[in-house]
Amino acid sequence: MCGIHDLTEKDLQPLTYTPAYLDKIKGMRFFDPHVHMTARTTDDYQAMADAGVVAIIEPAFWLGQPRTSVDTFRDYFSSLVGWERFRASQFGIKHYCTIGLNSKEANNEKLAEAVMEILPLFIYKEGVVGIGEIGFDDQTPLEEKYYRAQLELAREAGLPVQIHTPHRDKKKGTQRSMDIALEHGLEPHMIIVDHNNEETVKEVLDRGFWAAFTIYPFTKMGNERMVAVVKQYGSERIMVNSAADWGISDPLAVPKTAALMHESGIDLNDIHSVTYTNAVKAFAQSGQINEADFNIVGNIDQSEKFNGSTVLRGGQQPRIDKSTTIIR
Amino acid sequence: MSVAEYVYDQDKVSALLRTIIHNNSNEKANVWLLQRLQLQQQTRAIPQFNQTFTAIPRFTGKEIITVMPEEGRLLQELLPSFFVQGWTLDRLVRVWWLLQLPTTDKTIYIETLEQLFSIAEMNELAALYSALPLLAWPEALIARASEGIRSNIGIVQDAIMLHNPWPAKYLAEPAWNQLVMKAIFTDKPIHYITGLDERANAALAGILTDFAHERWAAGRTVNPMQWRLLMHFVNADNIQDITRIWHSIDNVEKEAAALVCAQSDYLPAQQLLAQSPALAAEIQAGSLSWDTIAKKITK
Repeated sequence: MCGIHDLTEKDLQPLTYTPAYLDKIKGMRFFDPHVHMTARTTDDYQAMADAGVVAIIEPAFWLGQPRTSVDTFRDYFSSLVGWERFRASQFGIKHYCTIGLNSKEANNEKLAEAVMEILPLFIYKEGVVGIGEIGFDDQTPLEEKYYRAQLELAREAGLPVQIHTPHRDKKKGTQRSMDIALEHGLEPHMIIVDHNNEETVKEVLDRGFWAAFTIYPFTKMGNERMVAVVKQYGSERIMVNSAADWGISDPLAVPKTAALMHESGIDLNDIHSVTYTNAVKAFAQSGQINEADFNIVGNIDQSEKFNGSTVLRGGQQPRIDKSTTIIR
Repeated sequence: MSVAEYVYDQDKVSALLRTIIHNNSNEKANVWLLQRLQLQQQTRAIPQFNQTFTAIPRFTGKEIITVMPEEGRLLQELLPSFFVQGWTLDRLVRVWWLLQLPTTDKTIYIETLEQLFSIAEMNELAALYSALPLLAWPEALIARASEGIRSNIGIVQDAIMLHNPWPAKYLAEPAWNQLVMKAIFTDKPIHYITGLDERANAALAGILTDFAHERWAAGRTVNPMQWRLLMHFVNADNIQDITRIWHSIDNVEKEAAALVCAQSDYLPAQQLLAQSPALAAEIQAGSLSWDTIAKKITK
C-alpha cells in the first residue's frame, strides 16, 4: 500500500470506531433476557459487553433442525449450565438460562417423553431462572400436552415460565397460552409471555402477565415500533430482548433499542425498566439472580479458589485489533 | 459401613470436613444439612442424593471458607497435599456430601458419580473434580479424570490441575503429560501442580522443547517456568535451548536457565552455571528459586 515514511501520526493511532448510538447509552447497564448465545461468536460477547450488557438469559430452544436423541438434549442443557456460562464469564457477562422442551420438538412424542424425564435433573441447577422457552409453535395436541406438563413442573419447582408465542395464528395462540397457564394454577406474575407485538400486548398486560418483546429484524418487532409501544403502554411489566440466534438477528438489539428510546424522548427511568429492571424482577422470582454478581462475574472464577490472589486463571479474554489485516 | 474401598481414613476426614463446614455455616444451613444427611442415611435414595448435591449452594451460600490452622494441619496429616484453603463453602459441602454416597456396591457408586459428572453445571464440575482425592475406588475414575483435563472451562481445569494430589498419583504418563501441557497452554500457575517435579519425565521434556521451538518460530515468548521440568533431563539434545535462554535479554529466563543447570548433573549444564558465580550463589542462598520466578511472572 505505502512505504513506512508515508505514514502520518494519524495512521499510527488505533482505529477506534465507536458507533454513535453507544454515546447515548454510555454508562447504562442492560439485561437481555432472551438470547441464544450458543449460536453466537466471541465477537458478539465482546460487543455486548462494550455496549453495557451485564447479564443475559439463554432459553433452551431448538437448534435449527430437530434432534433425534435425548442424549443431544442432555448435552445441550449441560452446555447451557457449563461451557456457555463460562464463555460468557470470560467477557464479564453473567449468564443464566431457562430449561425446557421447546414446542417444535414436542411434536416428536417418543423423544419428548425422554426429554421430560431428564428435565428435573436440570431445573434446580444454579442459575436456572425458569422453565423455557415453552408454549406453542403449530398449536398441535402434542405441543399442548408437553406445554401443560412443563407448567406443572414449573409450579412444583416455583420457577417462572418463559413462554414462546407462535408466529402463525399468533393472537389466538397467545391467548390460549395464557388460559392454559391459569388453568394450571400459575400466577400471571410468574409468567413471561414472549415475542409480543402490537396485537397481543394489551391483553397480556391487562391480564397481569409480563410482556416481553423481541427486537428481531423482518419477522418480529422493529425497535421504532417498540418505541411506539412504550409510548403507548408505559414501562410497567414490559421488557425487551434480542432473541439473537443462528438467524439474521442482532445481539445488540437491547442497547440499540435503549438508544433509540433515548433519542425519541422516552424517560430514562422507563428505558431502564424495559431494558433491565423488569427482566431482573421477573426472573429473580426464581431465587437464582443476585444483581451483585453482575459486577464481579469476571472475577468470580478467578477468586474462587485462591482467595483473591492475582494469578491469571482462565480470566478475561485478550482483545484483538479488528481494524488491521495483521493477525498475531 | 466398610471403609476398605477408600485409600485413606474416610471417617476421620469426613468428620473433620464436617467440623470445618459447621464452623463456616450459618444456623439455617447447618439445620438443612443435618436434615438432608438424616434423610439420606434413612432412605439411601440416589435421586435424593443428587438433588441435595445440586441444591447445596442455595442453602450454604458461596463465601470463601476459613480453615483453622489446627484443622489444616490435621487435614494434611490425613490426606497429604489435599487442599481446601480458599474454597467456597458450597464447594466444600459438595465434596463432603460425596463422602456420604454409599459404597456398598461399586457399580452403583461409580454409575452415580458418572451421572453427576454428565449433567453437572460449571461449579458442580469443579466440586466433583476437587473431590477426586477423596472418592472411593480411585482407579475406576481414571478415564473421567482424563476427560476433565480436556475441559475448556477455567475453574474445572483449575480444580483438577492445581493443588490436587490425585492426578500425580493415578494418571499414567501420557495423561499426566497432557495435564501439564494443557496447564501451560492455558497459563496456569504450574508451580501449584501437585507432584510437578516428581512426575517430570523425558517424554515431557521432549514435548516441552519442541513446544518452545514452535513458540520461538512464531515470534512468541515461552513461560520461563516450563524449563523447571527439564531439571533432570538436560542432555545433548536440549542444552542449546538452555544456553539460548541463559543468553536471553529477559533476566527471568536467564534465572530459569540457572535453576535448571543447578539441578542438572549434565556436565555442560554445570559449566554454563559456573559462568555466573553470582546466580549460583543466589540459588545456594535460596534467594533465587522457582517460587521467586513464579512471583515475578505472575506479579
